[in-house]
Amino acid sequence: MRIRSELIISILIISIIPLSFVVYTSYNYSQETIRASIMDNLVGATENTGQAIDNWMDVRKSDIRVISQFGMVEYIEKEELHDYLNNLENEHEGVYKEFFLLDLDGNIIFSTKNHTGNVDSQQYFIEASNGRLYVSDVYIPEVTGSPEIIIANPIKKNNTITGIMAARVGLEQLYGIIEKIEIGTLGEVFIVNNKGDIIFHENRSMILHENIKNNFAVKEVTYEKNGIAEYVNYQEETVLGSYYWLPLYRWGLIVEMNRGEAYIEVLALGRLTVAISLFAILGVILFTIVISRRITEPIESLKDGAISLVEGNFKPIPVSSKNEIGRLTEIFNQTAKELLEIRKKLEMKIDMANKDLELKNKELVIANEELKKLDMLKSDFISLVSHELRTPLSAIRTSSEFLESEENADPGVQKEMLENIIRNVDRQARLINDILDLTKIEAGRMEFRFEQVDFKHMAPLAIENIRPIAQKNHITITEDIPDKLSTISADKEKLIIVLNNLLSNALKFTPDGGTIHLSAKEYQDYIEIKVKDTGIGIEKEQLEKLFDKFYQVDSPSRRKIGGSGLGLSISSEIIKAHGSKIHVESEPGQGSTFCFRLKK
Amino acid sequence: MDKKDIDKKIIELIQQDENISYSKISQIVGIPEKDIEEKIKNFSDIREKILIVDDEMSTLMPLKRSLESEDYAVVEAYDGHEAIKKANEEKPDLILLDLMLPGMDGIEVCQHLKTDTQTEKIPIIMLTAKDNIDDKVKGLQIGADDYVTKPFVLKELKARIKSVMRRPGNI
Repeated sequence: MRIRSELIISILIISIIPLSFVVYTSYNYSQETIRASIMDNLVGATENTGQAIDNWMDVRKSDIRVISQFGMVEYIEKEELHDYLNNLENEHEGVYKEFFLLDLDGNIIFSTKNHTGNVDSQQYFIEASNGRLYVSDVYIPEVTGSPEIIIANPIKKNNTITGIMAARVGLEQLYGIIEKIEIGTLGEVFIVNNKGDIIFHENRSMILHENIKNNFAVKEVTYEKNGIAEYVNYQEETVLGSYYWLPLYRWGLIVEMNRGEAYIEVLALGRLTVAISLFAILGVILFTIVISRRITEPIESLKDGAISLVEGNFKPIPVSSKNEIGRLTEIFNQTAKELLEIRKKLEMKIDMANKDLELKNKELVIANEELKKLDMLKSDFISLVSHELRTPLSAIRTSSEFLESEENADPGVQKEMLENIIRNVDRQARLINDILDLTKIEAGRMEFRFEQVDFKHMAPLAIENIRPIAQKNHITITEDIPDKLSTISADKEKLIIVLNNLLSNALKFTPDGGTIHLSAKEYQDYIEIKVKDTGIGIEKEQLEKLFDKFYQVDSPSRRKIGGSGLGLSISSEIIKAHGSKIHVESEPGQGSTFCFRLKK
Repeated sequence: MDKKDIDKKIIELIQQDENISYSKISQIVGIPEKDIEEKIKNFSDIREKILIVDDEMSTLMPLKRSLESEDYAVVEAYDGHEAIKKANEEKPDLILLDLMLPGMDGIEVCQHLKTDTQTEKIPIIMLTAKDNIDDKVKGLQIGADDYVTKPFVLKELKARIKSVMRRPGNI
């Protein structure tokens, strides 16, 4: 699971559960409190109203009691009494509908409304005759249609009942008391008697016509209880009903409020709570998303950065905060930068190493080729050496064997054989010396003794060596050496070898009647020595091999001359040891020029 | 006129007239009198003929003398081209061929001779101062009949010459 989802889920779990719990608990608590206070209010109002009714009734009762003890009643001054009572009626604004007096037989002897008749069967008459104040049940006279009660009280004289004072009392004023109770638009207030009949109701048509004993509150109040309860009333509505028993008159006061109306505040509270909770949850979710984004976004970019680093297209990650993640990002950027630098360096090193390796490889291949060539040269050299050594040996062997076996051979032939032997022994000796010299030079074991040499004195020595053969072959030797020639730094003996080799070489390849020219020329730092002949010349491809050991230019005259094939190699090595090089210029048929320079 | 035809013509002329003079033959055939004399001398030479090919005079000379004293007719050649020319002209009974020759080397000469119908039957003994096996094998592969390393013992070489010439198929 991604960190962000985890974060969101955890924060939601952590915040919403306690939030819900708190909201639910406080809602419940508030609801209970509100309910309790509503109920208390209702009960209080009911009790107050009940007491107000009690008080009102007490006033009525005491009125009747006072009037019945009033002396005027005894004298029955009819006119006066009439006026008094009428005044009283007026004073009480229609509360008293009628005052009347009864004799002990139940005959109406006086009425403010001039009624007559006998009421001895009436309960109030019977009860009052027994010496008690009596309050009748509610009834509705057909004439007024307004509920009334009759209060009757015995008139006593010297503790003897002389008559009965009674009054019809209208209950209209009770409306004023009841109206003070807050019952909402749907609520009802009514009073029932102990049989459950409605004796007082806003809706007057219901009075005495409805028996609502089934109503829970009515049942309770007829059992003479006080209290409050929620129940379904006679109109099939759920109501909050408060009931109060008025024992003196055996009345039950019932105040019913529509439950919804009563608890409207609770409902409002619930709605408010739900709304607040929803807002809170929404807020928490938004907050969580924002927070998780703030936390996970830098991690995401770190992750992306790491991936891009691996893929090799890293760009620094923007640092969005100064917290641990911001710090981490900075460190990551730094590390990545260093890594990239190291990588670059490594790549460069690898590149260089590769190039180096390639170069070395090439060098190795070349070296290997050279070694192979060298090896071939070596074996060629050995094969050449063996060939060159065996050739004179073979001549000596054959000649001597001939002499040995042909004792009677012609003396001329014998001499020829002996000469052949001597010639080949000399040749062999020369060859061996040459090989030894060359080996020494190549091994760096030949010692050179450099001294200041005057070339002017050396040239004639070298020329003298070849003069006899040159003269025999009618070859002219010329020289061009200036008288004032500076001395050169050279090994005299070795230089003589070089001159001998070059001159005899020229001699070998120059046909009869040709010319060999030895010259020296002075330059600023060196003297240039040249041996030029009018010989057969050398092919271009042969020029390169000229200084190879045992290399001999093909020539029909060669067999006349002989030679080891080492002379030029030795000369070249000697001049090399002098820090110079022998150059050759030649064209077939045009003669050759060998030249080298020696430092002063 | 081909050399063979010349020889044939000379023989014809002599058969017709035993006392015919060299100058007359020379006139008819068209070559110098001196050459006619040489040719007639060669016709009568019944010795076995050996061609020695070597660029080293000092090796060739004692060998020639020695073979001549054994009663062989000896012809010399100093390089490959001369060797091929002489082999065709002289029709030797055997060729002693040195391997190290200027220009065309012995192996090439051998190859040439052995692929030419005129000379393929002539036995060849290779002579060389080189002694490595490869050269020997190569020489024998291209048709040399024997191989002798310098320096050699004359007696041995003579024995090998006789042996090679006695072989069936050889003349």
